[in-house]
Amino acid sequence: MAGNWLEAVELTSSGRPVLLPSEIECSLLSAVDLECEDLPNFPNLKSGILTLTTHRLLWVSDSSSQGASSAIPLASISHIFSAKKSLKSIFASPRIRFQLSVSPDGRVSNSGSGSRSVVVTMVVRGKGADLDVFLTKFWDNWRGRAWETGNADVTSGSESVSGSTSSGLYTKEGTVRMVGVSGILRKEQEMWETTDKSLQDAFQDLNALMSKAKEMVMLAEKMRQKLLSGSTSQPGAAEDEELGSKQEMQDWLLSVGIISPVTKESAGALYHQQLSRQLADFVRLPLERAGGMINLIDIYCLFNRARGTELISPEDLLQACFLWEKFDVPVMLRKFDSGVMVIQNKSHSDEEIFARIKTLATKPDALRTGISASDAAITLGVAPGMAKEHLLTAESKGFLCRDISPDGFRFYINLFPEIDPNNVYLVKDYGVYDTWLKVASASR
Amino acid sequence: MRRRPGIGGLQNAAAARDQYRALGQNVAQIRTDLMKEQLATFKSQLEDFARKHKNDIRKNPAFRSQFHDMCTKVGVDPLASNKGFWAELLGIGDFYYELGVQIVDICLATRPHNGGLINLQELCNLLRRRRKNDREAVSEDDCLRAISKLKVLGNGFEVISVGKRKLVRSVPTELNKDHNEILELAQSQGFVTVDEVERRLSWTSGRAIDALDTLLDEGLAMIDDGHKDGIRRYWFPCVSSISTLVGADT
Repeated sequence: MAGNWLEAVELTSSGRPVLLPSEIECSLLSAVDLECEDLPNFPNLKSGILTLTTHRLLWVSDSSSQGASSAIPLASISHIFSAKKSLKSIFASPRIRFQLSVSPDGRVSNSGSGSRSVVVTMVVRGKGADLDVFLTKFWDNWRGRAWETGNADVTSGSESVSGSTSSGLYTKEGTVRMVGVSGILRKEQEMWETTDKSLQDAFQDLNALMSKAKEMVMLAEKMRQKLLSGSTSQPGAAEDEELGSKQEMQDWLLSVGIISPVTKESAGALYHQQLSRQLADFVRLPLERAGGMINLIDIYCLFNRARGTELISPEDLLQACFLWEKFDVPVMLRKFDSGVMVIQNKSHSDEEIFARIKTLATKPDALRTGISASDAAITLGVAPGMAKEHLLTAESKGFLCRDISPDGFRFYINLFPEIDPNNVYLVKDYGVYDTWLKVASASR
Repeated sequence: MRRRPGIGGLQNAAAARDQYRALGQNVAQIRTDLMKEQLATFKSQLEDFARKHKNDIRKNPAFRSQFHDMCTKVGVDPLASNKGFWAELLGIGDFYYELGVQIVDICLATRPHNGGLINLQELCNLLRRRRKNDREAVSEDDCLRAISKLKVLGNGFEVISVGKRKLVRSVPTELNKDHNEILELAQSQGFVTVDEVERRLSWTSGRAIDALDTLLDEGLAMIDDGHKDGIRRYWFPCVSSISTLVGADT
């Protein structure tokens, strides 16, 4: 069984790997085979998309419907061989080889302290991939050892944040007296001075900020919490401004962050395809909030907001939406005659709407006088423009018939399928036909 | 310290408590002030960095995500490109895309109040406030240009003129629930006037006129100018109470 050699990767509904908490995606290669001659039971990993993250190498099969996927933790890699430049390598597909440490039973160990070493070869068949760049990133991530610092920092970070908030001194007056007022004041001042200093240090230049990034993120979080929680009792003129900045911060919380946005740089030739998948994963939540249908332009804004500085152009977004047709994703792009484009859930789509329109059209009143776009709008809870669109689609499917009269454009339930072509005068005493007959004769 | 009995002792204790409280409040005040100051420095530094080191930040995915984290936490907009020469001349570069995202963002944020219809001027003001550290102010023309870049994504976002004002509509007809409210309003007597819509739904006049015009275009409403008071009425023959009325006559 292929699965037990390597850990499987959890995939999203659009077929992108689910990343670990502080894991960040760095680079993608297409059409990659993974081979290992040292192990007889090595799974058959042919032609997949290889994702390099700060923590792992992820291999996902190209035909994502099978869902074959494996992960190699960077921690288990004991050596990366530098690329050999030989005459042979010019003609063959480029390869990257690295050494893995495995446990005696042939499983990849997380700690990197396995007893056996095997050599895995990555064969890159995809064209246009810059292998040197990939190799550099591979080295950097492997040496960066993000998986070690990541876990430790998360826990210590939360501790220090909670620690500092609980040190609020005047919340319990008892503590104030016991420690001594001047001591607390001094401590307070020291705290502010260190914060000031670390701010200064961090923002000297970009490198300084990079090395202090974690600390600064924590500081930012601390400030935000204090500003959001406290200062409600603050009187005076500052109130207005404060309210403004509070508002600002809460607005920002609305944007759900995409931690590893697909970029041209990281994904290369796979850019649009991966973008499309990421978008499909992303729209699920806003779509739910908007009730199953959302303006494409709204998504453009929300998606870019979640990506931060990695803006995509409207053209790229559109391209990504068009690609949905090729993948098995639960959302679709829809274009109205008016030129408006929206994204909607596939499940939300027509079936349910038709069922509701049919119920509406078979009510006694509707059987007699038909339904208009505004009736449908009120019942379905959608805009009249949208309701009209639905009615016309229902008509084209044969559920409704139209009637154009001085009263306007009205729709009736389609009774023609109910009529038996062999005996047109047969009056059925069941079904829609019968209900219609009863209503029609009663009104006379 | 030994507690002294008697009224004097109680008064002393109360006075001491008051002093502690005053001190506590003082410290709290200073603390918030200091924090605000530091937050302001933090913000302006982040904004500076976002502008100056944009490309370097992009190159390093791990740092980029941390940078974004900082920005979102203290409320800094990481989109801060300068317009620059090429953007001005040819409209290329990220500047107009950024503006576009910010414009839609503002429209989304104000939608609960205005129903997706915003005065161009107001939009511009909000945009400027958001980009207050920008050296060059954003003009209305810049806004229009940024909006025109969004055209690729369909006609869901457009600039319309109502009277002399320019309004930006971010909700397309297909998704506009304003029309439903008007229909509901019209149900009682079969017609509405602009005044009535504005008053009953507390909308701005632009919003009401725009919605009624769309309903006219859709063929759901009819204009009646023939009334004695000279106020235009919008009739809705499709609203069911009227059609049953017509049905009963025949």
